[in-house]
Amino acid sequence: MNQQAITATPPAAGALANLSRRHFLGASGALVLGACLPVASANPKAKASVPFQPNLFLSLGPDGTVRVTAHRSEMGQGVRTALAQIIADELEADWSRVAVDQAPGDAKYGDQNTDGSQSILRNYDRLREAGASARLMLRQAAAARWQVPVEEVRAVNHQVTHAASGNSADYGELAGDAAALPIPAQPALKAIGEHRYIGKAVVHVDAADIVRGKGVFGADVHLPNMATAVVVRCPWLGGGVKRILNEPKEAPGLVAIETLEPAPSAGPVFAPLGGVAVVAEDTFSAMRVARDLQIEWTDSPNRGFASDELRSALRSALEKPGAKVPGAEKGDVEAAFQGGGKQLSAIYETPFLAHAPLEAPVAVADVSVAEKRCAVRAPLQDPQAARGLIAQSLGYPLESVSVTPTLLGGAFGRKSKPDFALEAVELSRRLGRPVRVQWLREDDIRHDYFHAASAQFHRAVIDERGLPQAWLQRTAFPSITTVFAAQASAPAGWELEMGFSNLPYETPNRRMESAGIRAGVRIGWLRSVCNIFHAFSANVFADEMAAAAGRDAIEHRLAMLPKAGKLAVPGMQPPPGHELDVERFRHVIERVRALSEWARPRPEGTGLGFAVHHSFRSYVATVLEASVVDGRPRVSNAYMVLDCGTFVNADTCRAQMEGAVVFGLSLALHGDIAMRDGAVLQSNFHDYPMLRMAEAPATKVELVPAQDRLPAGVGEPGVPPVAPALVNALFAATGKRHRSLPIRV
Amino acid sequence: MAIKLNVNGKQVAAEAAPDTPLLWVLRDRLALTGTKYGCGGGYCGACTVHVDGAPARSCQLPVSAVAASPIATIEGLEERHPELLKVWVEKNVAQCGYCQSGQLMSAAALLDAKPEPTDADIDAAMAGNICRCGTYVRIRAAIHQAAAQRNGE
Repeated sequence: MNQQAITATPPAAGALANLSRRHFLGASGALVLGACLPVASANPKAKASVPFQPNLFLSLGPDGTVRVTAHRSEMGQGVRTALAQIIADELEADWSRVAVDQAPGDAKYGDQNTDGSQSILRNYDRLREAGASARLMLRQAAAARWQVPVEEVRAVNHQVTHAASGNSADYGELAGDAAALPIPAQPALKAIGEHRYIGKAVVHVDAADIVRGKGVFGADVHLPNMATAVVVRCPWLGGGVKRILNEPKEAPGLVAIETLEPAPSAGPVFAPLGGVAVVAEDTFSAMRVARDLQIEWTDSPNRGFASDELRSALRSALEKPGAKVPGAEKGDVEAAFQGGGKQLSAIYETPFLAHAPLEAPVAVADVSVAEKRCAVRAPLQDPQAARGLIAQSLGYPLESVSVTPTLLGGAFGRKSKPDFALEAVELSRRLGRPVRVQWLREDDIRHDYFHAASAQFHRAVIDERGLPQAWLQRTAFPSITTVFAAQASAPAGWELEMGFSNLPYETPNRRMESAGIRAGVRIGWLRSVCNIFHAFSANVFADEMAAAAGRDAIEHRLAMLPKAGKLAVPGMQPPPGHELDVERFRHVIERVRALSEWARPRPEGTGLGFAVHHSFRSYVATVLEASVVDGRPRVSNAYMVLDCGTFVNADTCRAQMEGAVVFGLSLALHGDIAMRDGAVLQSNFHDYPMLRMAEAPATKVELVPAQDRLPAGVGEPGVPPVAPALVNALFAATGKRHRSLPIRV
Repeated sequence: MAIKLNVNGKQVAAEAAPDTPLLWVLRDRLALTGTKYGCGGGYCGACTVHVDGAPARSCQLPVSAVAASPIATIEGLEERHPELLKVWVEKNVAQCGYCQSGQLMSAAALLDAKPEPTDADIDAAMAGNICRCGTYVRIRAAIHQAAAQRNGE
């Protein structure tokens, strides 16, 4: 495939991604798709030279090239490829003749928030229909041309054929005719087993560009007359600029020094932090001035914030009853605790984390005040939401603002928050020229929307089999909702549904409680979100129950589960059919036991640890093999079993599990963000380390074939079981139980 | 001032202060944007290029220090290591891709120095390159396979 669709040359303000596509969409502008295909003509004035564009997501030109419009953001999860696979499969397109364009943010595409591991499950059906209807129209066009019944006409791999007459035509030859046909309402879809690309391993469409350095990420967009800004931000949240102590009159390359006002606490949503922007002709000139700038900041209530104190407060919160999770209580835990039996209790703690995508936030904005137009190119997970916020900040109509994602150099939730794009917009507006805002790594780590620090308390009465006869669970953490509302502090229901209130384990007496607390930093969602700490505490506590009874961890876990049944899993707008299915949960456990050869003895000092978690509607079971070498944990092998229902790209699913092991081990072994006097103490990869090559275990991944199930998440569900599996493996290896992250041996 | 450089076998001139890191000259002056900014401190390896054939962190090298040396970037790698790029694509190594230029430059330098690298060689040579997406297992496999292909196996 020739993929040049994400280009360094941006579209003009307000325009679509390229001239030909502007033409297509202009011609069919009335065909706005919601969740289904329009019942209307694709193009009533169709001519042979007019491309066939039966819906928003694909077009076919006379040369036979199929152009797929990807409306979700690519951040390494392979979504541009997967969306194209779905369409190309039902269209029966030749993969070598499929190209992918990136859509700007626009409500006509429906939801574009590339977040929550939902791109496939939200788009699978409608993109299949988009491809299938186009395929049917090509058959209809050929049937009309050849004067034969459409049922006798086949469309396979970019060719339409009629066996009896010997007629055949390339898709491109039929594009003009097909464009004149009405769009079928409910085209037949392929049966499982007929798929050409869905469920197969397909190399990512951007791979060839990436290995040549040609992939276009945020900072690779270059506009004529563009300036680059580096912003110095207040160390504590909410502080503003009192004065600049050493503002240079001039410096090489310096364009301007601009003061940006801080947003009030918790709003408007995703507003920039404020600070002093150093704008220069090139990046290093801006960095050099920014580095030496001395600024006196105004105070804010967050100046006294210390993460140590917050973490003490979280522990204290666990000592008393919290808010009961509605509907979660069973039996009488207090009575069971008074009743004797073997009791266990433990507190688990996890720290703040920064997203630290390797590409720090960066955005290019080109605002024309005279024409009231704005064009933004940036690595954004939700270009549609960014567009709305930008239009609002400028007071321009939505149609005057275009926001087109570049490739995202990692995101993990950080780039759902477009504060950095709003900075670029404001500076471009003020300076009257295109501006790129480049966050430095230090800015990224110090001024993130941090993954919340947390603590959990578990207490149980167990029987001789290690099974909980009573189980009290408490969780406490600063809620993501605190960035949206100044008064918010309690964890939201959807945060608790991430691995806390939706656990499938059986116990006759159960209570679940939560407590919230406000932090003096911005809280955000990071890959897997609250599942990280909830899966950690639940899986380690379950392992502790098994160990206390001297039982095999996997046997014990299977015994904790019902034999079958489905739990309703509310939250995150799941379509029907996404209840937690206990049989699938058990199945991934059994498969990881086989994959890891769980029963095979390992060398002395090496232990196996097991964990399992259901999140983003998928099921992942993990076994890690670990030991302690030279005083440091060493993970030699990782085994991952994923059931994500229908999967589109088998290789992407494997890659996401491999990556989840690394991401999970990074947070288990290294990740620790701390704040004092309102300021983040870490700044770069020397004090906020990531897993490196030598620490990455050999990884075996197994995908559960489930193409008859609804598609579910892949990008996030692999992360949660990794850290607890490591703790459990180290316990098996050394007898020492680690209850807080990162693990300090 | 104009600084003359030899980049990917070509003589080029760039306007830059002598203390400007090579990274920013490549990106901002020469439009060679395949070399990435990751940390600015030499910790992550996203900016890895070859200077005199050896891997170097271009965010740490003042351009004046490399004016006399041949510099190679990702944009010129295919000519010297076509099999490495091919294997990298076939194995679908990249996820987001942002670190991959640096990973490839480190891998190519390793293969230049050690045509049959061991796992320990890979650990050592790739230690300076962070991949936040976690593509390490595929990078390792791709290096081994590229070495095997190069050695005619």
